[in-house]
Amino acid sequence: MSNKVAIIASNGSLFDAYKVFNIATASAATDAEVGIFFTFEGLNLIHKEGNQHLPLPEGKEHFQEGFKAAQVPSIDELIVMAKDLGVKFIACQMTMDVMNVKKEDLIYGIDVGGAVTFLDFAKDANVNLTF
Amino acid sequence: MTNIQTDKVLDAKGLACPMPIVKTKKTMNELEPGQVLEIQATDKGSTADLKAWCDNIGHQYIGTIEKGEIIHHFVRKGGEEIEEIKYPHLIENEELARKLESNEQTIILDVREPSEFAFHHIPGSISIPFGELEQRMDDLNKETEMYVICRTGNRSDLAAQKLTQLGFKKVFNVVPGMSEWKGITEKLID
Repeated sequence: MSNKVAIIASNGSLFDAYKVFNIATASAATDAEVGIFFTFEGLNLIHKEGNQHLPLPEGKEHFQEGFKAAQVPSIDELIVMAKDLGVKFIACQMTMDVMNVKKEDLIYGIDVGGAVTFLDFAKDANVNLTF
Repeated sequence: MTNIQTDKVLDAKGLACPMPIVKTKKTMNELEPGQVLEIQATDKGSTADLKAWCDNIGHQYIGTIEKGEIIHHFVRKGGEEIEEIKYPHLIENEELARKLESNEQTIILDVREPSEFAFHHIPGSISIPFGELEQRMDDLNKETEMYVICRTGNRSDLAAQKLTQLGFKKVFNVVPGMSEWKGITEKLID
């Protein structure tokens, strides 16, 4: 398998959060170096307040119960795991400017950067994913 | 067979993907190479995930037993030093297989971990994990021919050297060992 995984998180629903953080933690637990670039709605996933109320896609609200029944970890838990395993979080500066988000509005321990910051990480990644 | 002896047990019951893998990864950091971890899980995807995870990291996936809701996985930590086989008296798998076919009386001593033995061993072989050899040597006769086997010939090399030091006269190391064994095997579990 790969040893470097580059992920773009560009959507902000609860489904997107699970896709991004599950793959990120699983990769990191398999000894990969993992970086996630949070851009546009994806920034929601690391927004201190926003990520406490991530919406389910319209018409899929009933899956809320499925999440409970399947005992999936919370997004907070997954973020702690991911950081603990060394996953690198990069918030998109341009999105922050457009949406008037400050670094203090985002969770602790992330980097802020532009497209090239991510591309520099992704250029020699064996796996590139976009969610 | 219900309880297979391991070095540590991880309770990952009730956890959904990717937590069983994440917890296994963390727990493995606490073990020494060669030690065995039992992971108890309920996530049905964990069997395929753990196999793939072991292949990628270089751990040995030993096997899985499902008992009702609970899935028991056995994994042996990799990263052992590759040691040179030093003990001079060797016998190849094929030759040992021929001895077994011709019904010669052969004592096979399997020095792998109990979980490895439980999933896969030569019928009639005796299980004494390498770490327990000295305490249990009184179970063995020093004068009879003895064929020592493990997975790849390393642990059996050390075991053969130790048995010789302890006064055993006719000890052979089986190479390469169970990883390449083509003959019949049996297991202790369903």
